Amino acid sequence: MDTDHIRNFSIIAHIDHGKTTLSDRLLQRTGTVADRDIEEQHLDAMDLEKERGITIKAHPVTMYYNAKNGERYELNLIDTPGHVDFAYEVSRSLSACEGALLIIDAAQGVEAQTVANVHLAMKQNLHIIPVINKIDLPHADIPQAKQQLEEIIAIPADEAILASAKEGIGIEDILEAIVARIPPPAAPKSTALQALIFDSYFDTYKGVVILVRVFSGELRPGMQVKLPNSSKTAEIKEVGSFNPKPYTRDVLTVGETGYVTANIKTPREVKVGDTILDARNPAAILPGFQEVRPMVFSGIYPINTADYEGLKQAIAKLQLNDSAITFQTETSAALGFGFRCGFLGLLHMEIVQERLHREFAMDIIATYPSVVYRVRKTDGVESSVDNPAFLPDVTYIDQIFEPIVKAFVICPNDNIGDIMSLISEKRGTVKNTETLDSRRVMLTCRLPMNEIVIDFHDRIKSITRGYGSMDYEPDGDEPSDMVKLDMLVNGEVMDAFSCLVHRSKAEPRGRAIAAKLKEVIPRQQFQVAIQAAIGGKVVARESVSAMRKDVTAKCYGGDISRKRKLLEKQKEGKKRMKSIGSVNIPQEAFIEVLKS
Amino acid sequence: MRGMDVVPLASGVLTLVSATPVVGVQASREPVRSLYVHVPFCAHKCDYCAFYSAPPSGDVIDRYVAALVRELELVAERCRPDTVFFGGGTPSLLNLRQWETILEAMRRLNLLGAAEWSVESNPATVSLDKAKLWRSFGINRVSMGVQSLDTALLERLGRIHSREMVFRSYDVLRAAGFDNVNLDLMFAIPGQTMELWQRTLDEAIALGSEHLSCYEVIYEEDTPLYEQLAAGQFDVDETLACDMYDALIDRAGAAGFRQYEVANFARDNSSGGDYPSRACRHNLGYWLGEPSFGIGPSACEFVDGVRSRNWANTNLWIEQLERGRRAKEFAEALGPVASAGELAAFGLRLNAGWRFDEFQSRSGLDLRIEWKAELEELVTRGWAEWTPERFHLNRKGHRFADSAAELLLRPEKT
Repeated sequence: MDTDHIRNFSIIAHIDHGKTTLSDRLLQRTGTVADRDIEEQHLDAMDLEKERGITIKAHPVTMYYNAKNGERYELNLIDTPGHVDFAYEVSRSLSACEGALLIIDAAQGVEAQTVANVHLAMKQNLHIIPVINKIDLPHADIPQAKQQLEEIIAIPADEAILASAKEGIGIEDILEAIVARIPPPAAPKSTALQALIFDSYFDTYKGVVILVRVFSGELRPGMQVKLPNSSKTAEIKEVGSFNPKPYTRDVLTVGETGYVTANIKTPREVKVGDTILDARNPAAILPGFQEVRPMVFSGIYPINTADYEGLKQAIAKLQLNDSAITFQTETSAALGFGFRCGFLGLLHMEIVQERLHREFAMDIIATYPSVVYRVRKTDGVESSVDNPAFLPDVTYIDQIFEPIVKAFVICPNDNIGDIMSLISEKRGTVKNTETLDSRRVMLTCRLPMNEIVIDFHDRIKSITRGYGSMDYEPDGDEPSDMVKLDMLVNGEVMDAFSCLVHRSKAEPRGRAIAAKLKEVIPRQQFQVAIQAAIGGKVVARESVSAMRKDVTAKCYGGDISRKRKLLEKQKEGKKRMKSIGSVNIPQEAFIEVLKS
Repeated sequence: MRGMDVVPLASGVLTLVSATPVVGVQASREPVRSLYVHVPFCAHKCDYCAFYSAPPSGDVIDRYVAALVRELELVAERCRPDTVFFGGGTPSLLNLRQWETILEAMRRLNLLGAAEWSVESNPATVSLDKAKLWRSFGINRVSMGVQSLDTALLERLGRIHSREMVFRSYDVLRAAGFDNVNLDLMFAIPGQTMELWQRTLDEAIALGSEHLSCYEVIYEEDTPLYEQLAAGQFDVDETLACDMYDALIDRAGAAGFRQYEVANFARDNSSGGDYPSRACRHNLGYWLGEPSFGIGPSACEFVDGVRSRNWANTNLWIEQLERGRRAKEFAEALGPVASAGELAAFGLRLNAGWRFDEFQSRSGLDLRIEWKAELEELVTRGWAEWTPERFHLNRKGHRFADSAAELLLRPEKT
């Protein structure tokens, strides 16, 4: 199709504001999917996505629409993840589009995630079509939603389309607006092939399936193409689109999105953000995306040490379809062999852990998450530290810089005091307070990322009884007085608990872990000292008193086999315990503390 | 091999742990010198008890007695008991007629005449007639389940007897001519103070028995006491339990008892033997790994190197014996190393510990060489003494007898 009749767009929405329902309606209205085939939430393929109501991976869908002007258009919906943890996925998807639908729930209004995602879309110069959804709800407040649109997002309210995806209201208007308002793909300067890779996934039969947006030229089976990043040359086997199931096409032409396969078996050879070029007539490489950098790191260990190889394979498999996960082997005295994994954010970390558990039946334990610190040593050399174990000795550290985020917190008016004190407890500062409507305010604040990795979101949810929302974007780093907190048992460091914390938080945190450890470390035949220490200085101490006896008094003929087996079991159990500072600690004890 | 008719029943639970052939079947045709008889009935199950017992109903006791006689017949040929022990449950719960049936059968089967023949009894179920009957067949030792002499604590434990019954029964036993009586006592009972424990201990010692067995309350799963503990109705005070154990050793010692095992104390007229003269010989046999028959539901035995256990369910056990065969739910034969490890582990519960020559003659292995590292570890921990002739736990070590045992146990090399 000629570029004038192609529209590439995506949908931006907060969780539950109706993105998926609207997508399904669009598929239905354009006849892409027959009415009877509409199952709830068509685009979210992973169970986990359906369950959590979020989209993690981007799926492009091609639709054909006969507009009121009598012309037929190809509409490519490039789905985006809703959560800013997946901002890199969002920005990749957006880079393949010229416009975006912004969905606002008429009853709930603008949410923190909406704001963060709109910022991303605006940065990419996309044309935004606001859609006020769920207008059929009894408590829908359209004037208020419009007001928020103008005041918070700075989009003229009269541009908003009123819709109810559920009731099928406004679908036509939306399709017409896509055709009328979103610009067609820009005309290319040449005909040489330039196709941006915005995603890829691995298919057992076809190898790597590359999702592309063609910016110039065209892609046909049989073409020799080049992937500049890996210098790989390959022959295109198949091109196609999604409806939402993949189907083959003869050609993908300028402005279109779809997939190509080229019998590539190694996912590493395909780099998202790279440009597919004609091998014989290579054009210039398109500006790619910013390199994906994990923001949060955590050690992941198999609970059963024998599962190490299985875990390794499971993570590697996940990585095939989620290139944002990084991992490398790591060993811990307490937890054995495992992996240091990098994630885009907290939700990403949670999702990966859950997928390991669900899809691979792995029992895992994750260590305390860490963010990435920039450490400047006294000799001026800088390095990134994502694992407290690799922090240089304090005497060589000139300055530690900790990553900062800009966070948007939306909460009911009643909770503003509690939220402000939470933010200050988390070492944050509120930069701006905006009234959203008669009920809610939005706080824009700066917070150390380290402080939000643990329970910030949960605390907001609990303070606001579920009504609050939070999202964030990275906002550089700042020098900070970070210290390494170690937990010791009888003088030996338990590496699984070491963490970098702000000096002001070190003592309370040390105290809390020590108290928890005291509960879970079984008594030994000698006294066990549990200490929290910063450098050499002990800031908290607990002790587990020595066991004075272990004998159960009765033991006669009838008991001997039973008793022997009991003792053998204990002995076997001790073998599985980790011995630290000659203290036997069951792995469950570590897990117990790491979970809390 | 009579007495080893291993019958896998319904669930087919029969585990012969090791494929090692039973050692020296030919040589071991010599008679088994120890016999245990389990009487699985209790008038009321105590709150701490995890032993197998059931309240008697209908004709089940009579059927049990008949089956027991049958099982005695099955083992009699191999059995020439030096020691017999009727345990339970509550053996004293059987009535005169039932006792007579069993004792007559034993006479017929040539099982009388044991040098030590003990019966466990509940103070509430001892009568002079019964005691006299026991004496007349040669029963010469009674072990009385006193547990406590504090009325409130007896109730706490779910015992059916009173302190008065203890004194009365004790007199009855003496009057019937028993000159070897054991009293079972319990300490660290929830609610028991040190003062209460010492009072019970003093009163029990004042009775003048020949033997004391004193146990700390243990919380076994599936007992009411365990449930109460799990539900947080009381706490376990380990320090107090330790102090009570210390007080026991001191007081019993001062009263002329000699401790010979973790929980056992006896009067001693011997001149420095390994065990006091009134030690329970039957139980010594268990700790020293001697062969023993065990009959009755849930009874364990150790014959020809095989340890086995009868079905615990009384009705199933009866049904099997009514068909003329023994009902085993479990059997295992340990290999030489594992069984030596077990021997080492359980023998250390005795104050005398192991004489090296004796251990070698029983197990074929030299404790000093095969378990060198473990023995050294026990000495390092301050729990044991290593003399040229023997190895034994000391007073502190007795408190850690389970850890010591755990250290000595060994898997069979494969």
